[in-house]
Amino acid sequence: MKPVDFRYSRPGTIPEAIELLNEGAGGAKIMAGGQSLGPMLNLRLAQPEQIVDITAIPALTMVTEERDAVVFGACITHAAFEDGRVPDPANGFLRRVAGGIAYRAVRNRGTIGGSLVHADPAADWITTLTALDAELIVATAQGERRVALEAFMMMAFGVHLDDGEFLAGIRIRKFSPAARFGYYKFCRKRGEFAEAMAAVVIDPALNIYRGVIGATQSRPLVLDDIRDLLRGGGESSAPNGAALARARDRVADLGIDDDPITDAMHGNAFARALEQVIA
Amino acid sequence: MNGLRLTVNGLPVAEHVEPRTSLADLLRENLNLTGTHLGCEQGVCGACTVFVDGVPVRSCISTAVSCSGADVRTIESFDADPLMGELREAFNKHHALQCGFCTPGMLVMARDIVERLGDADEERIRLELAGNLCRCTGYAGIVKAIRSVVLARQAAGTAPSLGAPQGLGPAGSGHGQVTEAKPRQAMTPPIPASSPKSAKLGKLAATAPSVKQSFVIEFPPETVWSRFGDVPAMVPCIPGASLVGRTDDGNFQVSMRVKMGPIGAQFAGTANQQRNDDMLTGVIHGSGRDERSGSLARGELSYALHEMNGGAATRVDLEVTYSLSGALGQFARGGIVTHFIAAITAQFADNLKRSLSPEEAPNATQQPRELRLAGSMATALKSWLGATIRKLFSR
Repeated sequence: MKPVDFRYSRPGTIPEAIELLNEGAGGAKIMAGGQSLGPMLNLRLAQPEQIVDITAIPALTMVTEERDAVVFGACITHAAFEDGRVPDPANGFLRRVAGGIAYRAVRNRGTIGGSLVHADPAADWITTLTALDAELIVATAQGERRVALEAFMMMAFGVHLDDGEFLAGIRIRKFSPAARFGYYKFCRKRGEFAEAMAAVVIDPALNIYRGVIGATQSRPLVLDDIRDLLRGGGESSAPNGAALARARDRVADLGIDDDPITDAMHGNAFARALEQVIA
Repeated sequence: MNGLRLTVNGLPVAEHVEPRTSLADLLRENLNLTGTHLGCEQGVCGACTVFVDGVPVRSCISTAVSCSGADVRTIESFDADPLMGELREAFNKHHALQCGFCTPGMLVMARDIVERLGDADEERIRLELAGNLCRCTGYAGIVKAIRSVVLARQAAGTAPSLGAPQGLGPAGSGHGQVTEAKPRQAMTPPIPASSPKSAKLGKLAATAPSVKQSFVIEFPPETVWSRFGDVPAMVPCIPGASLVGRTDDGNFQVSMRVKMGPIGAQFAGTANQQRNDDMLTGVIHGSGRDERSGSLARGELSYALHEMNGGAATRVDLEVTYSLSGALGQFARGGIVTHFIAAITAQFADNLKRSLSPEEAPNATQQPRELRLAGSMATALKSWLGATIRKLFSR
């Protein structure tokens, strides 16, 4: 037994969870699958006074389809996405991303909401859902508030949540059938946290041409309009090599990490993600 | 202690455990099922993998209470399982184990791979096994053994089984009885009762990470200089910091509360400062210890004031150098702490400006209960991101 002693509660509703958080006055920590929190508890990096387990709240494992979006409960596991047990508004992209997160035994418990709130810059969902411009539904004492993922993450391991709030759901818009998605990450070993990663989303019907560079030392870097980087690829039959090399060098020259090797990895990850959408 | 009921290897189990007990400890210590092995206890090595509600789960990073009501199956319960029998035989034949430490976890994953995927080739098997470490075999025998079982089952026409229908939430979680929120007494603040010891204030190594920042403040240098000399007025400008008292040797006792993701720390320590009146420069040294994590933080804030606009304004150049050791030090990947310090510095500059302006002083400093990353943090990051994005599109 390694963690500090903490109290544990498993509320059945969102208002009860919020009440417990407010009673905890900053010493309470929300837990879903606990796959990021568990190691931190064992290392005693996290020393909460109380853990509020939100997995018994039915609303948090539900999927709601809206006309132009799908809302996922925060406690839905990576494995549920990987297995296609939930709808995929991004034409299979969520399924593909989920399958590459950590290991199957971790994916069976780790959740999409937990990963976003933990906000490790090298985690998969932070980067890919920023590329999809996901909207987060935060449960508050007053009800809920909505915030774009891009504005939710403040820095590494820092998100915009008050003591009495927690993440309840993630809303992802439905992309058009012609949308294309690219994602590439460099890991020392499959399942390890990435050293560099990039995601690209192209959906001409929705006028989205977005690139995101992740695994930085802080928030993902968003490139809102990458149309100029697509030239030389796309519909034309011209070889993509020149366009990819240009994209790679642009990103590598951003100086994201002040380290030429890591910067080159960011550049290559971006070029490889881009290659998937212009190939 | 929490009451816990679950099913382990087909039998009902009722135990009283502390909430911090992992599922692995419950199995090994309370139920004496030592076939589940503990290697890293941080979810990396895979030795502790067991079946929970029919799917593999890391038992070392799942608390037992969160699996209340779950159906747990450990390596001990597979004696009569036909598929596990085939895997055992194949592991034997292909020399898929040597010391055997990783084997229980390997067999759990192997069974999952064969059942779930059906037609896994060697590459897929290797990918699926990436979360289980073996230090003896080099994996070749393990992969061969699993592949041989896959082929044998395909030859026999055994279809992969989909297993029990799964919910969408964490495997094993959410079944237990819910607890009701009850009001309870207010927590006492976690400030240590003993007065913090005066830590040594040696010079930081030249290689310690540092953050530089400059800002302009619309007050003459004399005003800013006297504020920097007034430690009791300065400390509240630092986000999360508060002044506790003074030691006999003239040092200031300060405490600083920091929150970063799941990590909360309360550093208690001392600070002093050296000033050069002629040059308008000074250095504030501080060091403190977080009692809970046993981490030690040391930092230096150097400042230099420069007259601007004929004495109407002052440019303040700040440089913060720091080092972090102990449990929090392991966590602090270089750049993350640098961004963190940059954010503190930005908020400090804002607070300093506000505290000097006559209409808002003296209670105008934003004094969060702890250093929480909001407000000016976002501004600091936005400017950094803005600069990098501009760089990208300016060519």
